Amino acid sequence: MTIVMISSMFQSGREELAQALARKTGWPVLCREELVDEARKLGIKIGRLEVAMIKTPGLSEKLVREKELYLAFLTATLCEKAGQGNLIYHGRAGHLLLPGVSHRLRVGLTAPQEIRIKRTAQALNLTPDKAETYLAQLDEDVGKWIRYMHRVDGRDPNQFDLFFNLENMGLSNAAGILCATAELPDFQATPASLKMLNDLNLSAQAKLRLALDERTLQADLQVHADNGVITVTYPPEQDRASQYIPQVLAELPGCREIQCTMAETNILWVQERFEPESENFGQIIRLAQRWGAAVELMRLLPPGELPGETEAHGSNPDYGYARQECALAADGGVQDDDPQAVTDDGGLGRTEEELVDLGRFGGRHTVCGGYDQILEQVQGSGRYSLVVIGDMFMSKGHQARTRQTRELALNIRDRLKAPVITADELKSRLLFGKRQTATLLGYLALIVAIYALVFTNQKPIMDFLGGPLHQNFKIVAGVAVALFSPLIAYVYGNVTGLTLKIINVD
Amino acid sequence: MHELFAGHFIDINLASALQVVLLGFIGGILSGFIGSGGAFFMTPGMMNLGVDGVIAVASNITHKFGKALVGSRKHAAAGNVDKKLAAFMLTTAIIGVQIAVWINSYFKSGGDGHGADKGAGANLYISLVFAIILSAVAISMLRDILKSKGNGEAGAGPSMKIAEYLSRLNLPPVVHFRVADTKVSLWVLMAVGIATGYLAGTIGVGGFIGVPAMIYVFGVPTAVATGTELFLAVFMGGYGALSYAYLGYVDLRLTMLLYLGSLIGIHLGVYGVKVVNEKYIRMVTSLIILLCVFSRVIAIPVYLRQLGYLNMDAGWDAYFNMSSKFFLFASGISGALVILMQVVRAYRQRRQIQKTLLVTRKPGLTSTESAKAA
Repeated sequence: MTIVMISSMFQSGREELAQALARKTGWPVLCREELVDEARKLGIKIGRLEVAMIKTPGLSEKLVREKELYLAFLTATLCEKAGQGNLIYHGRAGHLLLPGVSHRLRVGLTAPQEIRIKRTAQALNLTPDKAETYLAQLDEDVGKWIRYMHRVDGRDPNQFDLFFNLENMGLSNAAGILCATAELPDFQATPASLKMLNDLNLSAQAKLRLALDERTLQADLQVHADNGVITVTYPPEQDRASQYIPQVLAELPGCREIQCTMAETNILWVQERFEPESENFGQIIRLAQRWGAAVELMRLLPPGELPGETEAHGSNPDYGYARQECALAADGGVQDDDPQAVTDDGGLGRTEEELVDLGRFGGRHTVCGGYDQILEQVQGSGRYSLVVIGDMFMSKGHQARTRQTRELALNIRDRLKAPVITADELKSRLLFGKRQTATLLGYLALIVAIYALVFTNQKPIMDFLGGPLHQNFKIVAGVAVALFSPLIAYVYGNVTGLTLKIINVD
Repeated sequence: MHELFAGHFIDINLASALQVVLLGFIGGILSGFIGSGGAFFMTPGMMNLGVDGVIAVASNITHKFGKALVGSRKHAAAGNVDKKLAAFMLTTAIIGVQIAVWINSYFKSGGDGHGADKGAGANLYISLVFAIILSAVAISMLRDILKSKGNGEAGAGPSMKIAEYLSRLNLPPVVHFRVADTKVSLWVLMAVGIATGYLAGTIGVGGFIGVPAMIYVFGVPTAVATGTELFLAVFMGGYGALSYAYLGYVDLRLTMLLYLGSLIGIHLGVYGVKVVNEKYIRMVTSLIILLCVFSRVIAIPVYLRQLGYLNMDAGWDAYFNMSSKFFLFASGISGALVILMQVVRAYRQRRQIQKTLLVTRKPGLTSTESAKAA
């Protein structure tokens, strides 16, 4: 079972390639245009969404909800079709859909500009000059659309498994290569990838139901699904809508449990192994309680850290480069009733239970790989006020671990556009401990000394700044003021910031 | 009367010190919440305490410089500063400020735009520009809010019609700003930069004009517009602080007292932005601006009388001036109180919320709900 996702800009031949592949394989073809028509029938305002996203840098809450509804619809429809067997999909950013599903083959396609212009001119009955201008504007708009919808650059080569340039290659040959590639074991369904597909489907179905039901359609909800457990977080002001969530999702096929958590915001906690007794857990809970946040757990298994590594090395020469499956999630979503047979989940289950007891659970994921895989997982859901990178790369030495954790944090920060800190920074920057008390006292003493000094020596100081003495030291006075003012602002700013942190106003 | 230090600095006793701290606090809340520097409130407030107009402006600009330096560092760390955009705005704004200075000189004023009564012609000119421009900003904000209410959009963003129209014009050369993720024609940039500088030089409110201009005309995201404006304020404030300190007009004690209040106020204002919805923020902002405009409009008959355009008893000037001051302070104080109320309400709500957990197992069966204390 393989899902082939072909993406290209307008008039680059994606439809022809999809049809050529379908002729060779006999697999069904689905295109973006069909999905857009179906979405419109459902009442999703795609046209308005496109115009707003392309032209407006900031979006209203309503449009953000519309965007999430559209993504949920695309995901649910694709999951449903892909669940029936092989599938070929083509669209402007198909390669970014169904994130994390390893049996999808992400294909990019480009054609020479002159051919695109010629085809556009014929299709729209334009002069070549007008067609060129039209294509340039359209490419820019589509680029903006992809960046806003998926938060990545649509042309980023890291997002593709295969990329065709039709300058020197015919469509038939490209389809042949594609056909052979799709047969590779790397792109066949596994229990883990099917579980991922099911989770995506369940979460998308839940989002759709909640967004289309009049009792919950105005609510700003975050929805995740894992092994049949749907986690919904809702903000405090939408407390009334929350009572309907279980009713709306009650008959959803595949759902065996619903967890609703009230939260003003979400914190994503990425770590290799979770321990509810650990210091990190305590600190994150303190922060979540202060912010009224739900904590979303993401277990990240770095490449090379998978159980059974030695065997994998021996059997797979591509190890370290090829896609990697999570051995831990290989139950395909089926839970065994026998407690003895429970696999090692890296402490996720126990931590989840603890968070549920504390009313702070915001969902869970398991990811293998690096920051690309993290971003794939959080696409569409990512409205985090903070991402905490906990203990990672535990098999490495201290220095390598520190460096790799920092690099991971930097990469996620760049791509996710959310504040990202490591567990060490969490303590020093966001929580109030002994170190912060010492800093506060130090700055407080300094600021009291400065104010006492100035206000007990007003006359000489004012003489220097604007009196008779000033005439001899004009430049020095100017520089002194320019240096002194930011110094006071910095020191006193830290005092006020830390003081307000003590009373949780931050 | 206050005893004067070095010829022009007032003596500060505990009562006046506390009043300056309070001015800073209110200015800080407004600054943190609505993104303006708060100068429109703090400078006339200090003048009301007997501080000379130039000293009040100089001390406030020095205070703004330090504040902007610290604030822009935080914004830069959050990726909200577009240095290229700031450089373009700064260059063009300097031209605009120079034009404003020329026009003010033409009116033989010396008026600083913060209420100093030095020349009726300049005061009238400044008040009219202030009233027209800020009314337009406030009314367009209110219209946006009412429109979004009509459409049922709870959190509609600012209108992008001007930015969209200008981007369609596509006047070359076009400059791409990577951080703000927007492309703006150099001609539009120059026009807006000069206009912003001109208004900052004329009515002394840079952020009030610069931030909406970047959002509405360039299509810059709100956070980037605020961060970039603060970065700009570092240079403008630094230049102003150095110049005024060189001339001997900075009263460092006033600057320090303003910091005492403003840095707490800013934190509360910023906290308010996090907990209050965007529509409410824009509504409070536009109402504060409209009250400021009203306070300026009330003073116009006085200038018209002084110029001989209006036949009015000179004894009435005091009443008009008092009413003008009343509305200025009313705008600042009531705005700050409304914001503080919202902050306290949100803070208390947050403490009360604690947490709620609602778990439903096997859909169709009874749901269980439990609430626990944090």
